[in-house]
Amino acid sequence: MSLRDRRAWETFVRLADTLVADFDTIDFLDTLAQDSVELLGVDAAGILLADYAGTLNLVALSAQQTRAAGLSLLRQAEGPCLDAYRTGSVVQCPDPLTFRDRWPDFAPAVLAAGFSAVYALPLRLRDQAIGAMSLFSAKPGKLDAEAADLGRALADVATIGILHERAFRHHEVVIQQLQHALNSRIVIEQAKGVLAERLHLPIEDAFAVLRGYARDNNLKLAAVADAVTRGALGDDLSIGSAQGEHPRGREPRGYRPRRPGSPLPGDAVYVPNTASRTSRMRPSSSSTASWSRPAAGPWHRPAADSRIRPARKAR
Amino acid sequence: MRYLAARTAADGSEDVIMQACRHIGTSGGRSSRHIGTVVPAPRWPVRSSVTASPLHREGMAVTLTSVGVWLSIVGLATSEKTAVAVRHAVAACAQAAGAGAALSMSCGRGAPEPLFATDTLSDGLEELQATLGQGPSVEALAGNVPVLAEDLADERILARWPDLVPAALARGVAAIIAIPVSSGAARVGVLSLYRNRAGRLSGDDLSGWLLYADAVMMLVLDARGGLAPGAVELIGKGFTERRAEVHQASGMISVQLRVSVTDALVALRARAYAEGRPISAVAADVVARRLSFVPLETT
Repeated sequence: MSLRDRRAWETFVRLADTLVADFDTIDFLDTLAQDSVELLGVDAAGILLADYAGTLNLVALSAQQTRAAGLSLLRQAEGPCLDAYRTGSVVQCPDPLTFRDRWPDFAPAVLAAGFSAVYALPLRLRDQAIGAMSLFSAKPGKLDAEAADLGRALADVATIGILHERAFRHHEVVIQQLQHALNSRIVIEQAKGVLAERLHLPIEDAFAVLRGYARDNNLKLAAVADAVTRGALGDDLSIGSAQGEHPRGREPRGYRPRRPGSPLPGDAVYVPNTASRTSRMRPSSSSTASWSRPAAGPWHRPAADSRIRPARKAR
Repeated sequence: MRYLAARTAADGSEDVIMQACRHIGTSGGRSSRHIGTVVPAPRWPVRSSVTASPLHREGMAVTLTSVGVWLSIVGLATSEKTAVAVRHAVAACAQAAGAGAALSMSCGRGAPEPLFATDTLSDGLEELQATLGQGPSVEALAGNVPVLAEDLADERILARWPDLVPAALARGVAAIIAIPVSSGAARVGVLSLYRNRAGRLSGDDLSGWLLYADAVMMLVLDARGGLAPGAVELIGKGFTERRAEVHQASGMISVQLRVSVTDALVALRARAYAEGRPISAVAADVVARRLSFVPLETT
């Protein structure tokens, strides 16, 4: 068995194991996107679902830190993902020249992000597409036949992960399931914002904290996100019973004079390896070191009103 | 500035939304300052004059696009010679579905209250669900997913809601569809459709109704923020923004202002409207920490 075959085998066994258990859809799709990158030899993968308005929404991405780069391209109206979804067939664009011809608005963002080739597959349910999976490569060139087959299989697994068996019979149930997945993603994004603000982290690190907490405590990502957005995150960064929307009567953090560099209450502080470790939110050790110092921002100075400030110089 | 006094609604219902969720809205070009104090919505009488006996109309097989949805809402408002309001979105959805519709809203932590209905039958059943604490609308609100009871005579549905279903069938309702009005954790309420005939829904139907729920969401948020976008703006804006940054910014603003995610979204939209910028641009500033929302120290 070739190395790629073996890795493909292991990946599918792991994905199948996940599917039969009670699993978290968004976490599953994120993992699948990451698996696609490793298995197919590409540099980035994204999974998009269509909503009831026919717009494609990004629900999973292979690597969070590349989001900052031109992966806003996935939100463009035009592009291979949309074509794949609408036509229900694979769309392949192996070099930058073809990009510019077919998608003149989309191409600059892709190329600026450092990608030269894109391969988009529809997520198909019988004769209908519910979304698309897109694969980006830094090197130009087509996807070889074997990788194309594997990509097809991974896309099918993604579809199965999103829809339950009974959905295959009724279209309106399909829409219900898609709504559920789309809603879950929205709540997770909102929770990322809440955590980023509470813990003074960049958005990507906030997501790592969220996912780490869910995994450590064997909870679904969507459930943790739901608790966080309901204000159930305590000052000690544990999730207890909901304490109401937000604690009232606390002095606004931004108004307290403090020495720059000293931690604020609620800052992410490294929790030593104690028995109670897993019950608290903590930045994962694999995240960047930015959690140990406050990220640049205006909240340590009193702000009279909200107005756009000039962007900080690079740290 | 007390925005409430400045806004005279065509009918009393808009005042309910604004009184129910007190916000000091934007004023001109000044920065927006929000104090989020949310009280439960008071009970409001049924507005029975909006559409005539929708339950007796044939269902319309219409494939709706977002533009079509907004045009139908604006068309309804124009025919009444009033500004576009939440009740127009509810009524337009009822017409498209060939059913009766009702909207219950929840403000903050209060229990949801029926707020609008196109006819007394829908209003009665909406209130019944709230009283019994069971039903598709209750479940849709709790689970944040559409709940489709396409045939109330089905024994499994009877087992699920044993107190509600016989009462609904006795009143001539054969199917109930409940669609949450929300954007993730920003939950506003639930839109319920009451049909007088059972039968499989089509995916196109549900897609269309989801668009109407989106429109209701937008109109409610804008009303809470004290905004009155014109018809052209409404159609141009389309529907609730879907970009991740908007949702991330809502989460961040909810911590900054110490309000719910719903109220944070209201503040974000009001800000964008005041500055005349797209919501996604303001959200990008918030996420990049170029812009933060700060509550006032004193009222």
